[in-house]
Amino acid sequence: MNISSAIIHVLPGNVAIVRSGLAMVPGVEVHGISPEGKMIVTIETADEGSNADTYQRIGQLDGVMSAAMVYHQTESEPEMEVSVEVRRQPVPQNKEI
Amino acid sequence: MKLTRREFIKTNAIAAAATTAGMSIPGVALAAAPEGQDGVRWDKGVCRYCGTGCGVLVGVKDGRVVATQGDPDAPVNKGLNCVKGYFLSKIQYGKDRLMRPLLRMKDGKFDKNGEFAPISWDAAFDIMAQKVKATIKNPDQGPFGVSMFGSGQWTVWEGYAANKLMKAGFRSNSIDPNARHCMASAVFGFIRTFGADEPMGVYDDIEHADAFVLWGANMAEMHPILWSRVTNRRLTATHVKVNVLSTFTHRSCELADAELIFNPQSDLAILNYICNYIIQSGKVNKDFVAKHVNFHKGVTDIGYGLRPNHPLEQVAGNNGYPGADGKPKGNPMNSSPITFDEFARFVSEYTLDKTHEISGVPKDKLEALAKTYADPKTKVTSFWTMGFNQHTRGTWVNNMIYNVHLLVGKISEPGNSPFSLTGQPSACGTAREVGTFAHRLPADMLVANPQHREFAEKTWKLPAGTISERIGYHAVLQSRMLKDGKIGFYWTSTTNNMQAGPNVNGEIYPGWRNPKAFVVVSDVYPTVSALSADLILPCAMWMEKEGAFGNAERRGQFWRQQVKAPGEGKSDLWQYMEFSKRFKVEEVWPADLLAKAPEYKGKTLYDVLDANGQCDMYPKSECARVNAHAWANYTNDESDAFGYYVQKGLFEEYRRFGLGKGKDLGEFDTYHKVRGLRWPVVNGKETLWRYREGYDPYIKAGETLKFYGKPDGKAVIFALPYQPAAEMPDKDYDLWLCTGRVLEHWHSGSMTRRVPELYKSFPDAVVWMHPKDAEKRGIKRNDVVKVSTRRGEIELRVDTKGRNKMPEGMVFIPFFDEHRLVNKLTLDATCPISKETDFKKCAAKVVKA
Repeated sequence: MNISSAIIHVLPGNVAIVRSGLAMVPGVEVHGISPEGKMIVTIETADEGSNADTYQRIGQLDGVMSAAMVYHQTESEPEMEVSVEVRRQPVPQNKEI
Repeated sequence: MKLTRREFIKTNAIAAAATTAGMSIPGVALAAAPEGQDGVRWDKGVCRYCGTGCGVLVGVKDGRVVATQGDPDAPVNKGLNCVKGYFLSKIQYGKDRLMRPLLRMKDGKFDKNGEFAPISWDAAFDIMAQKVKATIKNPDQGPFGVSMFGSGQWTVWEGYAANKLMKAGFRSNSIDPNARHCMASAVFGFIRTFGADEPMGVYDDIEHADAFVLWGANMAEMHPILWSRVTNRRLTATHVKVNVLSTFTHRSCELADAELIFNPQSDLAILNYICNYIIQSGKVNKDFVAKHVNFHKGVTDIGYGLRPNHPLEQVAGNNGYPGADGKPKGNPMNSSPITFDEFARFVSEYTLDKTHEISGVPKDKLEALAKTYADPKTKVTSFWTMGFNQHTRGTWVNNMIYNVHLLVGKISEPGNSPFSLTGQPSACGTAREVGTFAHRLPADMLVANPQHREFAEKTWKLPAGTISERIGYHAVLQSRMLKDGKIGFYWTSTTNNMQAGPNVNGEIYPGWRNPKAFVVVSDVYPTVSALSADLILPCAMWMEKEGAFGNAERRGQFWRQQVKAPGEGKSDLWQYMEFSKRFKVEEVWPADLLAKAPEYKGKTLYDVLDANGQCDMYPKSECARVNAHAWANYTNDESDAFGYYVQKGLFEEYRRFGLGKGKDLGEFDTYHKVRGLRWPVVNGKETLWRYREGYDPYIKAGETLKFYGKPDGKAVIFALPYQPAAEMPDKDYDLWLCTGRVLEHWHSGSMTRRVPELYKSFPDAVVWMHPKDAEKRGIKRNDVVKVSTRRGEIELRVDTKGRNKMPEGMVFIPFFDEHRLVNKLTLDATCPISKETDFKKCAAKVVKA
């Protein structure tokens, strides 16, 4: 499966409409929105074809100015377990993109 | 705690995005596996595609690249990726990777008309060596008949090894990079104006500029990450203005405050008008001009780089081709000194009225643009790429943008920056700095200069006279020489000229299939070029080898070999070094040259070029020592094969060329630890703005600014006119045809078309045209049409809207699609100085298929 994340830029007045648009796209989850309209999303798809479709659908949503890609990984055994340490995300210092 | 891999990866993905966006996700506890437990090893890398040079983190699991992410510590992209970079982890894993050498054979032996069949590396090198030796002995071909077409995607050491093997080993200067098709005009522009290649500025200019001017650069699609920096600057500093000049409306225009759509070729007139405006309005920076600028007038009847028998070349008095008496007709580079007043008179004919007439741009827009450059309070960064470079007056138009910046002194300081962008990841690092052009040696040195040849021969421990003084065959000339039977052995790598080169039907294909030539293609996928070759060699790509690229802002960046190449794939570096073992020096050098170095008798080219006490001076244990900070017991395939740290030896030898000349690169070991360094690197410190006191270590206290590439420290402003294109629409072929790229695909698509997501998002090339032009021809959107020029025809679908909006009279076709080869249509006219093809202008017609 493909697991990836992206930053979506949304015009400040359009957050609600983009959120509801994203809710219609399978595999997409919103994890946070900044006051300036930056949205953190993850995208999970079973295969490469649906991954491509998902990208196109996000880019074409009303109110989306741009979708910047950040992270991408393919995983053949997604349900296998790993043990992890838990830590808090450090607060980033760099506020610019 | 326990998580599934899926949850774990997702958490990492969220963390990466949040860090990049400068956000924290409240209440989300983030997980991190103890070192190695999730099975993914992360390391720094560099994106494989364009000249921006984004840093990427590469995740490897079970010997395979499984993940990538924008590197948050990379100063270029600060964690972001474009859509192509996003799917980087997939480029090595296309289903049709080449696994073994393949030779055209019939009845068990080579036959130019045979079918591809697998052979061993040993057998491949046997036939190649035989063809090289035969070519050198053939009086019609000789050493220059051994020819190589390389790449701005070569790693630094690959380009260096190729350059040495060709220019010193085979004594052939007929090596040229595909960067000739994209960067050569920028190179000649820099050399002619400043006497030194590559930009004075850096990407940091973006965060300092008050105005941006794009000249023939669609950054939104071709340099998306730099564009995101421009966008951020425009949106966060409200006074900033973006001006986009183009021959059609494209995605970068969406952010533009001013969009100037001009007639093809009229950029020459617009630039002269801006100079005229600056002078007429009294805005010349007189102090700057007096101290730092000379004025010259260039020769003008320079032809169009076509074959010498073309009517346009017969009438050109300064194209440098042999005239009736056999002597060269002038030199297109020639120029003579003039005064400022003479320059002012020269540009005075480019009035607002006349420029409007030539360019078709509304007068108020022209004037507003000129004011932007003229206003001493506005810091201007100009960006350009192929619109300027792929131009039959490409060197001129590069000179002319510098004219504008120099007249107002807006150069070499934060925000004031004429900035030539690059299209390939190491067009600067490998093609330009290593000097893999037919006329060059490393660090801006020239084969035609006796001191430069002497320096190279001494550095390479070779007898005087090894390197030829004659300029070799450049890219377009290579195609013509193949067709004319003057090249007997042709080796291309990391490039796809049968798709990306001009006039495929007329020159390239007949050249490659000429029985007098043996053509070898080193590549990773069966490209159009590979399938047109006689021998295909399977390569290692990107993270399958240790590498170094140099990006557009002079930043050199290294990466470690992360995984093995599949099948029998080998790096180009291994190929050049191993192949050089097939030649005894006496087989390729004349006796009088060998007599000057009798110690080389009986030695192989490998002994002389690589095992020379320099390239082989770092033991294999250095691989582990130098990279111990990244992971334990690191090694790479070339060092394993040859028994020493090959990349380090080659790089440290190469570095000697630039030291003390303003081209200083840092030490090899350092690059493996940092996110790149911008040269000149002096005392371990990189340089941001060249030529400027306080930034450039070569400028002494009190000098303020010095263009030290020129002996007198002054740059040159050139008086050069507007001239028409080589081929223009007429009654038979009534439309301009322009070629280029789209966001989703990189160049000829040999990598991006193997990424399912990218393939699917833009599967087939289309021809964009104006709705009225379509209507006039009875064509509707999505109809299949036939586009033809005097050289060929292709069929494809029409688009009349979408991302590119064409003006009437012009069509655009991207070149990524191997099934719709637009370069069957293009004309092989070049800038006569830079020899770079004009892929942006020829005459075409469109009819319903």
